[in-house]
Order: sequence, then structure tokens, then C-alpha cells
Amino acid sequence: MRLMSDEEKFDAIIVGAGPAGSACAYLLAKAGKSVLVIERGTSAGSKNLTGGRLYTYALELVEPGLYTQAPLERKVVREQIMMLGESSGVTIDYVDYSFKADIPQSYTVLRAHFDEWFAGQAEEQGAMVASGIRVDDLLIKDGKVVGVKAGEDEMFADIVIGADGVNSFMAQKAGLCNDITTQMVGVGIKEIIELPADTIQKRFNLAPDEGTARVILGCTEGIQGGGFLYTNKDSVSLGIVYSPESAAKQSKSVQEIYQDLKMHPAIYPLIEGGTTVGYGAHMVPESGLKGVPKKLYRDGFVVVGDAAGFCINTGTILRGIDLAIVSGVAAARAIISAQTAAEVGPNYVSELEKLNLTPTLKLFAGWPEITSIPRMASAYPQLVNDALKFMFTVDGTVPDKMPKAMMKIAKKHVSFGQLVADGWKGVTSI
Amino acid sequence: MPEIWIYSEDTNVAEQLLTVGRELADKLIQPLCAVTIFADDAQGLIASGADKVIVLKGDNPWPECYATPIATLVAQQSPVALIIGGTLRGKDLAAKVAARLKTGLVTDAFAIRVENGAIETDRMMYGGLAVCTEILSGIGMITVPPRIYEAPVKDTSRSGEIKTSEVVVETSMTVGNVCPIIRQGADITIADKLVCVGRGLGKQEDMQIATDLAMALGAEMACTRSVAEDYHWLPNESYIGLSGQRVKPSLYLSMGVSGQVQHVAGIRDSKIIVAIDTNENAPIFAVADYGIVGDLYQIVPLLTEAIKK
Amino acid sequence: MPNIIACYKWVLDEQDIKINPGNQALDTSRAKSKISEYDRNALEEAVLQATKCGATVASLTFGNSTAKKSLKDALSRGPEKAYWVNDAVADTADGFVTATVLAAALQKIDEYDVIMFGEGAADTYGQQVGPRVATLLGIPAITFVTEMSIVGNQVTATRKIGDCTEVTTAQFPVVITVLPEINKPRIPSLKQVLGASKKPVTEWKTGDLGLTPEDLVPKNKIKSIKGFVMSRKNVLYKEGTPAENVASLVASLTKEGLL
Repeated sequence: MRLMSDEEKFDAIIVGAGPAGSACAYLLAKAGKSVLVIERGTSAGSKNLTGGRLYTYALELVEPGLYTQAPLERKVVREQIMMLGESSGVTIDYVDYSFKADIPQSYTVLRAHFDEWFAGQAEEQGAMVASGIRVDDLLIKDGKVVGVKAGEDEMFADIVIGADGVNSFMAQKAGLCNDITTQMVGVGIKEIIELPADTIQKRFNLAPDEGTARVILGCTEGIQGGGFLYTNKDSVSLGIVYSPESAAKQSKSVQEIYQDLKMHPAIYPLIEGGTTVGYGAHMVPESGLKGVPKKLYRDGFVVVGDAAGFCINTGTILRGIDLAIVSGVAAARAIISAQTAAEVGPNYVSELEKLNLTPTLKLFAGWPEITSIPRMASAYPQLVNDALKFMFTVDGTVPDKMPKAMMKIAKKHVSFGQLVADGWKGVTSI
Repeated sequence: MPEIWIYSEDTNVAEQLLTVGRELADKLIQPLCAVTIFADDAQGLIASGADKVIVLKGDNPWPECYATPIATLVAQQSPVALIIGGTLRGKDLAAKVAARLKTGLVTDAFAIRVENGAIETDRMMYGGLAVCTEILSGIGMITVPPRIYEAPVKDTSRSGEIKTSEVVVETSMTVGNVCPIIRQGADITIADKLVCVGRGLGKQEDMQIATDLAMALGAEMACTRSVAEDYHWLPNESYIGLSGQRVKPSLYLSMGVSGQVQHVAGIRDSKIIVAIDTNENAPIFAVADYGIVGDLYQIVPLLTEAIKK
Repeated sequence: MPNIIACYKWVLDEQDIKINPGNQALDTSRAKSKISEYDRNALEEAVLQATKCGATVASLTFGNSTAKKSLKDALSRGPEKAYWVNDAVADTADGFVTATVLAAALQKIDEYDVIMFGEGAADTYGQQVGPRVATLLGIPAITFVTEMSIVGNQVTATRKIGDCTEVTTAQFPVVITVLPEINKPRIPSLKQVLGASKKPVTEWKTGDLGLTPEDLVPKNKIKSIKGFVMSRKNVLYKEGTPAENVASLVASLTKEGLL
């Protein structure tokens, strides 16, 4: 148990009570370690935002069956990709009921509820969670991280875990990375729009426990990025993630672009009549493997979750929460199995490998190249819409022959050279 | 005696209470009685509509120490309602009387009526977000804020019973050093036009934009609670809100005020509400008659110019 | 060593309360709770005074089971121990019930020299529990206090009551209700937050306080609680240039006879 002395000392201090921090705290506390989690927000989750959804396998890693108690929204069975034109939309709708059999693959989630519950679970295992406190600095002695400083108070620990999210202050203080640049992050803005459950079910063709996850391309008016829509129990999460660097070059504000998305004839009927109950923005690590610090640890310190840049965005699949939880598990296992303090770091890297996080990041390392192709955000979605418009237009005139028409449409949006360059980039990045 | 009783240590407020007292007394066909600690006020209270006045005479002028004698008197006579002026002194006394009588107490009722033979009150809850309607029983004790009602026109030909009671007032407390609070700003509660500043104003120097507009409009300056209590850009008695002042101007114009319920509770009675703010979703616009969404640093000077023409 | 007890109320945060547009009913399902604002001032003042005069400080609250969360918050603000009357009856309690329960709890605690309250609760703002409790305990109450000091067995407090201030003095035991301008409540530091979980909590049910069923029934009946609706014109000028919007506003105000 804990030493009660003037200097408060813990086995582990975790900065941030998000999914990574709570996962780590849960397992460490369960193993009998003394754990302190320090959360900046008034409650866990108050500073967090997601599109979004949670992939269940990650919670199963923490504790089999734990997900059944979590405040999760809907089981995602419908995966959709939508490409918007001016006043049209093409939606690829993949519905797979096996996604909800046994242990459902993913659930839509609202962070305020989920994070608070998860931190509460860590507390039940014996972790101490202090909310409303900001950690100002790391305490470093003889080159080793020995604790944290919050206001006037200093707390010590054998290991400090930086789980403080994107643009991690702790990782910077530990010297593992510099302040992020605008190229490395995206900004997500989102609105939670309340709608009766059966309206959602009718509009999205879902059973009462089912949900849909949709990515929307071509809705950012040329700015690199895309939109998303998730169905929660009695609300819909709608938003866009965009590159601030790209946005700075446009004259239209992101707010206006988002409003245009809301009013788009293919989107508006889905949210009509709803009441806005929440609105927020959050940074998102966008660089994949490139954005992960070269070193994930130093003596007395490891970094997990968004703070370590563990995010994957393929344009259709967005993963952050599950990777955060997996990294929290990896950190906990590393700490528990380490015989000496020096082993923790290397153990952590090895666990990340074993738990498939590192191989997965490596696999998707090239994808940011694809998502950053400017034409992905506008030209290609428009192109697809135009192609389909051509296919479905019947107005008594004689249409062009198919190959000629397709060439015409393609040329309207992209030059042959661009097409080749993009294709090459796509192929080499995957 | 199921009479309607009113009391305030503030004569003006007592007269205002007689207005609502008269309504209730007439509805219930009961006498209206005013309790006072100032013998000189008795005649005026009759002229303002009281059917009878009970003067409590004690040897201590401190109003707070009359809680016990009032409670004793009320316990003996059991009026159906005891309406006390909601000054801070009045609220203090009302709570103590209610505790002695083991009865409920409705604070800051803005409406009182008789419904199905019982007394019903409306008051704000949750900082002005909701209205709570209650049905009173026993001795219905209510405090009513000053200026909710207008004082009645006096009719000096009225006559009524004036009874004086010698009471023993004891208090274990000593009171001294009574200092009037010197009003630092104008009395915004009687101003006809108000310009209100909120946290949307970046720095104190920017107040000039607001005061210029106020001058052009012939308005007084007011603010939200944080501008007074946290920033101290205006004195405390200039802030409008649930715990501040309640205003009734013909025109209330705000800039950089988001419109939290506690503030809105204080501007409810304004005839026309105008708001200027950058955030289209600010709650203030939901309660405004007119609004401009925009940067106040641009809008307000333009408005001032336009008004001057 | 004097004993100071600070009472607080665990209230719903009105910012989280939604009004159902159809029937104006209140939706409190998403509402978080907090220690009522002015009670934080009372807790802070209790601790500040205790430091000055060497008194002990305890917190006291009457709330349903969710009030458990409030204990850590209250204790992180300085009191050495917490008392909690845990009863669902708190949900429907009016000033009469709350004061009756608190007075009974205080009598059970038995040692109280100064009892601090905020001037009113953030949710109901009845502004009556403090003086009620004083009357039930047969002790004086000094209300609407902006400044106070304790010397020996005596409390001297400055009240701000509308158009004047007065200085009132009373001997122990005494009830004090405070105005928010009396102090700025602390933001608990990490050590204070951690220390809170080590401090003792005494939990009672209303049954432990020797109260009768009548003591727990509110005196007046609540007919309805509905969202306050102000119907206003809601004319919003946002499309044009600033100059255009200003012109539109001026036209409207002129039409209203205000310019």
C-alpha cells in the first residue's frame, strides 16, 4: 500500500484520465499498485471529444466483459461512405449484422459519459483520481523523471505516464517531442443533435440497438478534410475534421463550411427537427506513424494514447480511442512485469509490438499521404457524383457514349497528370 | 382570523404590499391588516388601503429584533397570509418568524393570487430558468421584492382601526456603525434606458464605446455580475441579475452579454430588449426583441453615430 | 478551541437543465451537481476564520445519496471532517424541512460556536435556512455578511443590507450567512484533493436525528415547476454588413418609439 509521508509517493502517476490513462490506471490498480490519476478537467471526459466510436476489442483487452457495463451508445452495423456533390450525394452503405453478433465490433460513444465511467472503474480498482487539477511540470532529478508538479504541490512516483492527449505537454516536458506543428494535427468540430430514438432508427434504417457510422467526403469545400456522422441512442453526432493549415488558405470560415454541410440537401433531412445539445472542437493527431515520437519513453516516464500520436485515419476508418486503450494496457503490463525501473521503457515498446499497435501503425503509415491529396476533399467526390448523375439522367436527349462521357467528366475535375500522380501516391502509400 | 397581513420595515415597500394585499383581501372578503414598528406610519397605511394597523412598540429601533414579537402576534391571530417586504432585513425577519411558526415561507414571489380558495404564489427557481408555483397552507408566509407592485394612491378619507401593542424586544446582539452605502452610480432600477456591458468587452478602456452609446441614447450604464464583482469596472449596485438589481427600463441594450439565466432574471421586466453579440447562439438572443450578430467593436460605434444623427 | 461548522447544499447545475419545448417541463437528466456557489464562500470563510482563531472546521450537508460526491469536494476545501445527513427526503425538502433537519444534526454534533451558511442556495435561492436554523437552536443569526472577525467568544460581522451597512456583534454560538463578496473560494490544490479522501465522514439518516414524520414534510404544496418563457420578438439582424444591420436596428427602435 502507499507510504504516508510528507512527500506523497505513488507507484505510478498518470497525467490525464482519458481512455489511455484510465486503462493503464485500471490494470495497475488491479495489480495492487498505488496509482494516482491527475485530470485537468472538472471530471474525466469534460475536455474530450470524439466523432465517434469505440472498437470493443480494446475494452476486452482491459477486462473481458467490461464493455457490457460501459455507457456505450449504439452497436455499429452500418458502415457508410458518402461523397457529396453540389446538391447530390453518393453513399456506399455496407450493412453487416455479424458486426453486432457475440461481442459487437464497435459502438458509437459519447465521451463525457464514457470517460467518466471508465475513470470511475479505475477508481473502483483502487486508483486515486484527482480532477480539476492541472499538472504544470515534470520533476526531473539526475536525468530521471521522478514525479510531477501541480501548482505548489509536488508528487513523486516510480513511473509517470503521460496520457494528456494531443499536443502533449508532458511529452514535451520529457523532451520526447517538440510542440506540434499545424501540419501534424487536424481539428475536429462536432455537434450533438438530439432526435428521438425511433426517428433515428427510421431515418437510418436501424433496429433499436443498432447504429451507423458514416464518413463524408467532399463536404469541406476544398479544405483538406472530411465529415462524419454517427448515430447515438437519441442523438446524432455530426461534424468535420479538417487541416487548419489548409483552412487558413481558404476565405470561407470553417463554421460556414460546417453550416453548409448541415444544410446540404442530402444531409439536412437526416437531422431535421433535431435540437442542438452540444457543440465542441478538439485537435486530432493526423500524421499516423510519422507523428509518433521517436522515443516513447525515458527513465521514469512513458507516453501513451493521443499524447503519443497513436491515431489512424484512412479517410474511412478513424481510430484513436482503441489505440489509446491498447497503449494504456501496454504501459500497465510493462510496468507490472518490469523487475527494475530501467526495464519499463523497453518493456512498453515490446508490449506495443505484441499487442499489434506498432505493426498496425506501420501498416497505415502511408495513409496520411492519401488523405492529404487535395482532390480527395473535393474533386474526386464531385467526380463520382457527376459520373453517377450521368448514369442516371434520363431526359429525352441522347447521352454521350459511356467512355467518352466518363473521360469528359474526369477531365472536368482532374488532369491526366494529376490522376496519375494521385494514383501513384495511393498505390505506394498503401 | 383568516385575514391578510402585510409587514415591512420600509414604509414605501409596506405601501406597495398593500396593493397586492388589497387584491387578496377583496377576493377572500377578509380584512387587510398592516403591521408596523413605526407609529407615525399608521395613518398613511390606512390611507393606502389597510383596514387595520397594528403598531408594535418596542424600545429598540433595530428592525431585526421584532421577529419574536411579530411571530407571537401572528401565532395568536393566525392570518391566512403574512406578506413581508423582501428587503434583506425583511427576508431575515421572515425566515425567523416562519421558523417560530413552523410554517412554510415563499421567497421573492412575483405573483400572488387566490385560486380555489387557497393562496397561490409564483417564484423563480434555478437562477431564473424556471417558475415554481406553490399552493400555500397554514399561515401563508411570503416575501415580495420591492417594486414588484406600485404603491396605491392614498385616500386620506379612509379610516381604520389602529392598535398599538407594547412589546418586549430582546436581542443578544449589539448593532452599531450603521453607514449608508453611498451610491456610486446612477440608480439603474429606475432608469428608463440602460446600456449593459458584459464579458464580451475585452478591457476596461473599451467601456468608452459603451458610455458613448449610453450618452447618445440618454441611458444609464449597467453590467453583468462578473463585470462588477470580478473586474470592478462598474460598482456593485450597477449589476443586473438575480443577486443584483432587477430593472424595468423601456430599453435595455446589451453588448457582449451572453445572457445567462441569472442575468436574464433581472431584465425580464424591460419593455424592449436589444442585444449585440458575436455568437449567434448566445442565449441572450432568445430573450431579445431585437439583436445584431456581429463584432460589438464595429457595431456599437456605428450605432452611436446613427443615433446621433 | 472554537468549533465552526459550514453548511452547504449539493445542487443541480442549472446550466445543464434543459426545458422541454413542448410542455416547458424541466429535464434534469443530464444535469451534474455542484456545491452551491455561495456555500463555497461559507466553507472558505469558515476555514479562513478557523486558521486565524485556531478553530476546528467541519462541513455539514443534507442531501440524497448522490451527495456522496460532494464530500470529497467539500473536504478538499479545508474542513477537517464532514457530516452528511443522507436521505432521499432532501429532494423534496423546503426551507422548513431543511432547517429542521440541519438543526437536529447540529444538536447531535452538539459542539458549535459559529455556524456558517451561504446567503441562499443556487437552485431555490430561498435565503431562509440560515436564520431558520438559528431560531430553532435559539441562537442569534447575522445575515448578509461581507466581513467578519472572531475574537475570543465573540463574532463581529459587517452586514450589507441594501442601502446601508451595519456592524453587528454577538457571542457564541451564532449563525452567520455570507454574501459572495466576502471572499474568493479556493481552487483546491492536488494535495488538498488527495487529503480529502483521508478525512473522516459521519453519515446519518434522518431517523438518527429524532425527528417526527411531520418534520420531513414540506409545508406548501408545489403545483408546478415549469421553464420560464419570455416571449419576445426575437428579430435578429445578422445577414447584412454591420452598417446595414445597425440601420435596420435603428429603424426598428425608432418604430418602437425609443429613438
